[in-house]
Parts: sequence; structure tokens; C-alpha cells
Amino acid sequence: MLNYYDPRKDAFSRDLGTPARLSEKQIALTIDGLEITVPEGTSVMRAAALAGITIPKLCATDNLEAFGSCRLCAVEIEGRRGYPASCTTPVAEGMDVTTQNGKLAKLRRNIMELYISDHPLDCLTCPANGDCELQDMAGAVGLREVRYGFEGANHLDAETDDSNPYFSFDPSKCIVCSRCVRACEEVQGTFALTIDGRGFDSKVAAGQDEDFMDSECVSCGACVQACPTSTLMEKSVIDQGVPEHSVVTTCAYCGVGCSFKAEMKGDQLVRMVPYKGGDANHGHSCVKGRFAFGYATHKDRIKTPMIRDSINEPWREVSWEEAIQFSARRLKEIQARHGRESIGGITSSRCTNEETYLVQKLIRAGFGNNNTDTCARVCHSPTGFGLKTTLGESAGTQTFDSVMKADTILVIGANPTDAHPVFGSQIRRRLRQGATLIVADPRRIDLLKTPHGGRGLHLALKPGTNVALINALAHVVVSEGLEDKAFIESRCDTAPYQAWRDFILEERNSPEALEAETGVPAAQVREAARAYATAGNGAIYYGLGVTEHSQGSTMVMGIANLAMATGNIGREGVGVNPLRGQNNVQGSCDMGSFPHELPGYQHVADPAVRERFEAVWKVKIDDEPGLRIPNMFDSAIAGTFKALYVQGEDIAQSDPNTQHVQDALTSLDCLIVQDIFLNETAKYAHVLLPGSTFLEKDGTFTNAERRINRVRKVMPPVAGKEDWEVTQDLANALGYPMNYSHPSEIMDEIALLTPTFTGVSYAKLEELGSIQWPCNEAHPDGTPTMHEADFPIGKGQFAVTEYVATEERTTRRFPLLLTTGRILSQYNVGAQTRRTANSQWHEEDMLEIHPSDAEVRGIQDGDWLGVSSRVGHTVLRCRISDRMLPGVVYTTFHHPGSGANVITTDSSDWATNCPEYKVTAVQVEKVSQPSQWQQNFQDFDRRQKDYLENAGPDATADEPAPMGK
Amino acid sequence: MSGQGLEQLVKMVNQISANMHGATDQQAADKVATHLQKFWARSMKEQILAYADDGGEDLTPISRQAVERLREVRAAG
Repeated sequence: MLNYYDPRKDAFSRDLGTPARLSEKQIALTIDGLEITVPEGTSVMRAAALAGITIPKLCATDNLEAFGSCRLCAVEIEGRRGYPASCTTPVAEGMDVTTQNGKLAKLRRNIMELYISDHPLDCLTCPANGDCELQDMAGAVGLREVRYGFEGANHLDAETDDSNPYFSFDPSKCIVCSRCVRACEEVQGTFALTIDGRGFDSKVAAGQDEDFMDSECVSCGACVQACPTSTLMEKSVIDQGVPEHSVVTTCAYCGVGCSFKAEMKGDQLVRMVPYKGGDANHGHSCVKGRFAFGYATHKDRIKTPMIRDSINEPWREVSWEEAIQFSARRLKEIQARHGRESIGGITSSRCTNEETYLVQKLIRAGFGNNNTDTCARVCHSPTGFGLKTTLGESAGTQTFDSVMKADTILVIGANPTDAHPVFGSQIRRRLRQGATLIVADPRRIDLLKTPHGGRGLHLALKPGTNVALINALAHVVVSEGLEDKAFIESRCDTAPYQAWRDFILEERNSPEALEAETGVPAAQVREAARAYATAGNGAIYYGLGVTEHSQGSTMVMGIANLAMATGNIGREGVGVNPLRGQNNVQGSCDMGSFPHELPGYQHVADPAVRERFEAVWKVKIDDEPGLRIPNMFDSAIAGTFKALYVQGEDIAQSDPNTQHVQDALTSLDCLIVQDIFLNETAKYAHVLLPGSTFLEKDGTFTNAERRINRVRKVMPPVAGKEDWEVTQDLANALGYPMNYSHPSEIMDEIALLTPTFTGVSYAKLEELGSIQWPCNEAHPDGTPTMHEADFPIGKGQFAVTEYVATEERTTRRFPLLLTTGRILSQYNVGAQTRRTANSQWHEEDMLEIHPSDAEVRGIQDGDWLGVSSRVGHTVLRCRISDRMLPGVVYTTFHHPGSGANVITTDSSDWATNCPEYKVTAVQVEKVSQPSQWQQNFQDFDRRQKDYLENAGPDATADEPAPMGK
Repeated sequence: MSGQGLEQLVKMVNQISANMHGATDQQAADKVATHLQKFWARSMKEQILAYADDGGEDLTPISRQAVERLREVRAAG
């Protein structure tokens, strides 16, 4: 059933003209005889709109500050001269406003007449027909003639810029209202657009009057959304026409979890428009969520279940029933032969909470062991460990909006403008208001280039020295008396605090003592520590540059120590905030994906916890943790782990030391992959089960701020089943009954068993729009800010964070440090974004190298470079860049053939085995051909794609495979 | 598990020992043992115990102490 529900439609479907003002002082005024009271600072236009009176407007829209250029919104105000613009006029006590009379009507008609005299009259064939504010206003003001004629000077021949793959810019339709320019500044913060020229020659220009694609434009779509005409228009609307219905849902890209209106024609998705009512994004978007949805209907989608006995033979297309029976039979045979613990599964951070919950339930209840893990193992598992140990809960403490109250923003090992773009824009907004920025990162990230009202500090540390830096920062706080004694005394456990304090005060933790190790001048560390500790509100945001290290967990605890020592916990504007990579990393962790924890981070060894689950699941749960992903690989190679069920993950591309992963996957007797494409892992599979995209199913995602958001089905799954239905079928075939008829029933079970979710239900999500857990009796509407009164473990626990240098260090043979990351246009392993026009921004992974390192090696931009580490060798093209320090090289991992993870090693976090992606010692040299691994990869890739293309109905099957492929 | 798998487990336990601290070696070893009990799979614990039985020559002193403590914890049930 398709869901057409659009929550809180009234509040967010109208454009109130100018942004809300939050003043507590209320102002009373009269508009057209109606009395209304609004917060001080509200515009007359917005006050009128709130009273239900619509004043004509073109340059105003309620996500941009008023500009007052079109003059269409002129009104009369008793006692004031002339006709003030209602958008730029704030309300005043006792004001008496008239919005409609003969004079105003004539004035507005005259203005419209001028606009229309320089506008093509092709409304019937215009892509914005039916969705055009200019058209609407011409109607509203009653324009009937254009006395000037259409022959005078005009812009009708202006050339269209079609360079952007997703939207077109047709300046002949532009009315120069500047909404696009202001959206680029105020909403996105990129400042790529401007008004070029003066007077009649004024025109919108991208960059230095270039094509959009050649400019700094990041294709976020804010300008397209702001445009009142068809000047900036989605190409999908130009091709398909205006959508006829829309469904509010949640983006399936990064951990920001933006709400979108999926705008549809029947079951065809025409465009994704960011939803103003979305609590994470407030109507903003990035190039991925806004435009890169074409993968959902890409020809490469797997549409039929397939099986094979060995990876060296072609696929056989079979029915769902046969694929499920085949899988169940193989799993049971393997368990009979090799024992209960010889099989396991991997849940997906891209799937819904309900699907993730079901996969771990299948493993614990159906497989009878705890061999479940998730890709958070390779990204944020240290966050779970570190925050739970210190603060008592494995999650970030704030809402995204909290950053608007931060005075100093400390960003550690994260690149929000690329990896969490919509939140990146929000940080930029706060920086323009004057907040101080501290970035601790080996690279000079784009946030540092933001137009900024305050200070910006870059602590360019050497990769692998995070803990040394955080200790040095804490040393300054303690030694200079910048601690928040009252907070520590009332909120933190005394003995651990004292132990930590004694440790951190040791001279070896001073910035001066650690300067040689971190590479950051002591004076800079001192300045940063003071800026954070004395700001008023200091907020920490961190990413995988913190977690993906041999001391990832230690660093997370170091961050929590610093926040507790300065009292930056438990209110808005402060906090410890992990920026989650994938859409549902938080959710997949919450849902019990880790081998040692049942949903809600409840340990499997706790008999009381197991008892509650056993009562509902009606099965005995193993009291010992299961294998983590890297342990599964090691056990597979050792021959004790034989079968794996992988839902929506691509471990063969995303996990480190690719050759080791390949060895492990080829050692398995049965690999079941459930995915929307033949991903790298699926090439090693024996069963391929078609997955469904976020557009094809119901469920929930939980974003980085613990916000549970609904995912709503807008089209049927291409292969007929939502992912949770497939897991359910597999459980039933294995003899463990599951009988859910809708994901809401799965959520009800989650709420029953997870103390932080007891108040969550689909009904409540419809009512509130979204919910930040904990949502229970104590917090019936959820918890925007955590740890306000106390910690879930009572008192905060300081942890001693001894710096232990990584074993992965440079040598004469491997003199450079490789660190890996992401870029804006591609997402994770790229399976989705590589199948969209986003590839136009990033066709291949490049190796960035500092000019001085390039020079000594005789390397030039564009050269092919062999990159070797102690575990592997690959070849990438060179980009010379001074964004990193000398001695550091950087690449991304979005393309499988690049083999970025062929070189990353098995070095990992001591507590969680999260791989140390951010530090690999390498050597770089000029080469003329791909590496041996790449040549083998290409051969294997070609062979596996042939197997897929030549897949046919199963000749041995009892019944014919279903038609339709 | 043998060879590479076991080598990896030894490396892991030594790394945990290098990162967990206590006022005394015994305290540190206790913490390491608790960590192993809490986070390691049954098969991994059994292997490291068997390795210690065989001499456990590549275990650091704290790791060796921790594995012995783990044995006591498991025996106590």
C-alpha cells in the first residue's frame, strides 16, 4: 500500500514570506481590521500571513531574510508616508495596516506590468506552468495588459546554461529577485552566486560569470528551490512535468537524515524537495539527497533472486521461495557439520531500524548464536564504547540546532561540508554569526575557508596523534584553572576524576612536551584550549578521524573528559557529537547489531536482560558475545566460520586490507548477499537476494542526533519484497517463526524490549514528526538534549587516556602516511552515487599529495602513482594539493577499482577492532600500469558481471522462474 | 583457529593490555580480563586460554596475568 500521508501539512505547506522571530516580547497590531499579536521583530508580511492574509510577493520567501526588491508587497500603514514593503517592515505596537485597496492594486499591477514586459509569454509550454509564483502573482494582481509592448530592450534571448546535470539555468525567465543568490549565501553558505552588472543589465551569475559546473556551486539545490519562476528548474521536471502528489520521507544518504518530500507522478519519482518541517534539515539539502536518486531505477538493479553452487559458475535465476529454501538448507547443513557458531550475519546501516532489528533477531534466535555485527564496526564502534564508558550512553548528546547556541565549535577529524553537508551549512551559518572555530585535522578542510565572523584555528596534527592532542588540550584546561569545578563536583564520580586529573597534570601531557609528537605548536594548543573552555558554550563535533585509529576508543573518552572537565554537557549549545557516516549508523547500533549487545545496548551476559528477550522471542539466547566482522574474517580463513548472511553492506569494498577480506569471503561455503546491486561482496556470493531502496519500503532511520524519522514507501519494491520481508522468510525457512505484517509491528516489539524506546510508535511518529530517543515514561516526547540532570550511569566517569603511539608508523621503506576520507558528491562505497550523474564531479579516486613530496619524487599532477603499504599495492592518479601537511597523502574509497583498501591494514582500535583507516604508512612512486591487484580485480569483475548478464532461469528447478526480468 | 588467527588474537590482547591502565599490574590485568569476558566471542576466549596453557610466549606480562584472571572469571561462572 502506498502511503500518501503528509504530516503537519498546514504548518509547512505555506510560505509565510519572512523567517520567524523568536522574541518573547509580543506586539499587537491590526491588519485589514484583524487584530493579531506576534513576536517582536516579525515582519508585517509574516504577521499578515499568520492572520490568514496573503500579501502578493516575489522576492520574499520564509527561509530567507527579507530583501525588499520587488516592491510587490507594498502596503499602507496608518500614519506613515508612502507604501512601505511589508517584507522589510517590522511590526510595531498599535500599527494599523491596509493590504488591499485601489491604490495598492494599481501600484502592484504597474510593477507586474514591468516584470512581464521582459518575460517570455510561453506559460503553456513552460516547465513551471502550474508551479510559478510569477504566474500566480500576475493572476493575483489582476494583470490584463502590458502597455509597454514586448519589443523594447529585453533579456529574452539570454542563453540557457545546461551544464549542471540536474538543473538548468534559463536567464531569459529571470526576474532578478536575488532569491537564488541569497539562498546560496544564507541557506547553503557557499556564496557561489552573485548579481552581475547594474540596473537593467543586472543578471544572476555563477562564480566569475561561468557555467554552473565550472563555478564553486555545490549543487545543493537551494537556489532551484528558491527560484519563483522556471529560471532555475530541475531537469526531471522539465522532462516529466509537474508532480501530482508528494510523500514526506527520510533521505537514505548520510547521518544528517534530512526530511524530503518525494514528489511523484503515480509511482514515478519526479523530484526530491527538502521538507521545511524536517527537524534535522529545516528545508535544506545537498547534491546527494536532493538529486542523486536515479540509482533507484537504474538498469543494474537486481530484480530476481539468484543462486549458484560456486562463485566460479553463472547465476541461476530462481523464485523467492527457492532462493530462501536454498539458503536455509545450506545454513542448516553447515551448522550440522561445523557447529552452531559456524555461521553469522551482518546488518546494514543503510537499512531501516526495523530491518536491522530483524536481522540480529534472526541471528540470535534463528541461527542460535551472537555472530552479528554491522558496518559501524568499521566507523563508529569506538563512539559506542567510549561514550558508554564515560557518559553512560552510546550516542551524541545534542540536536543539530544546538550548534546555533555554540560559542566555540571544535571539529575533530570530521569534514562536515563534504560528509554531512546540510549540517555543515548550519555550522557555517553559526560561524557567520561570529562563533569561534577550532579544527583539529591533518587536512585543511573547507569549513576553515568559510566566510566567518569570528576566529578560526587549525590544529594540523600528524595522523595518529589524536590522543596526544586531546591530552594536551585537557592539560591546559586543568593547569590553567579553566575547569568547571561546580559541574565536576555535582555531576562526576570523584575517584576517577582525581585519577584523571593527576594523570593529565603530568608534565608529559603538556602541549610543550607533546609538540614534537603532534606537530601542533604548543601556543596554538593553549589558544584552542582557552577558546573552548572559556567560550561560554563549547561544542565538540567529531567524525571518523577520531574513531578510525588504534586509539579510537581512547580518543572518544578523551573528548568526553574534556567536555566534562569544562562543564560543556547537559544544555543547548554544548555537548559531544559524533557525526555519523551513513543514514542509519546510530539506528543499527541502537538495534542490537553488535555481537555483545541486544537492542538498546543491553549486554547479552546479563541474565535479566536475556530473560526479557527470551520471553518475547520464545527462544534461548546465547550468553556469550559473538564474533565481530574482523574476527569473522579471521575465523573464515582459519576454517571455523563457514557461512555469512550480509544485508545491504559491501564489506569487500569498504573494509580494510581487501586481499584479506577476499581470502575470507572465498573461504566461505555459503555467502548470502541481499543488496540492490551486484556489489563487490556479491561477486563472492552463492545467493543473491534483491534488496529494496528506501523509496520502496516503510520503516524508520535514526540520525546522528538520535532522531527517529519515518521512511515511507512511495513505489513498490522492484523484486516484490521489502528487505524485512526477506529476512522474515529466511527465519521461517530456518524454522524460527516470524509473522510481522508491517514494520510498525516490529517497532512495537522494539519498544517493548528497549528501555530507551518504550514510548516510540508509528502513531507517535505521525503525531510528532520525529522523535529523539530516549523516549519513555520519563521523556514522553523524546530527549533533544541528553544528560541535563544526570547521566544514565549516575555520575560521569572520567577515564585515564594514556597516549600509545600506533604501531603503524613511517619507516624508510614507507615514509608517508596515508589517510582516507570522503567527498561531497559520492557516498561511501559509491554503489548508489556512482550510478547517478554525481560521477561528473568525481569520476575516480585520486591521491592527493603535498607539492614538496611530489617534487622530490618528480611527480606531476595527473601522473599515475603506485601506492604501496606493507599489505598491498594499488595505483591512483595524482592530484597535487597543499591541503595536507608534507608527509601526508590522502585518497577516497568511492570506486572499487581504485583499491584504496588494498593498502589499508588490519591495524585496529584496541577496544573495538575499528580499523585504523586514517593511518597507513605508504610509499608513492610514478608507475605506468595498474597494480597486479587491479589487473586481477578487473578480470574477476568482468567474469562476475558476465555471470550476472548470462544468468538464466534455473534448468534444474522444479518450477519455472517467475517472469518479468 | 591457528596460525594467522591466533597471532591476531595475541596481538589484540597485547594491544588491549597496552591501553588499559590500573594503579597496579593486577588491577590493569583485571580490567583487561573483564574486557575480554565482555567483548570476546567464546571461541576467541577458548583459544587464548589454550594458547596460555601452551606457554603463551608472545603474551606480555599484563596479558598473561589477564588471561589467567579470565580463566578464574570463567571458572567462577
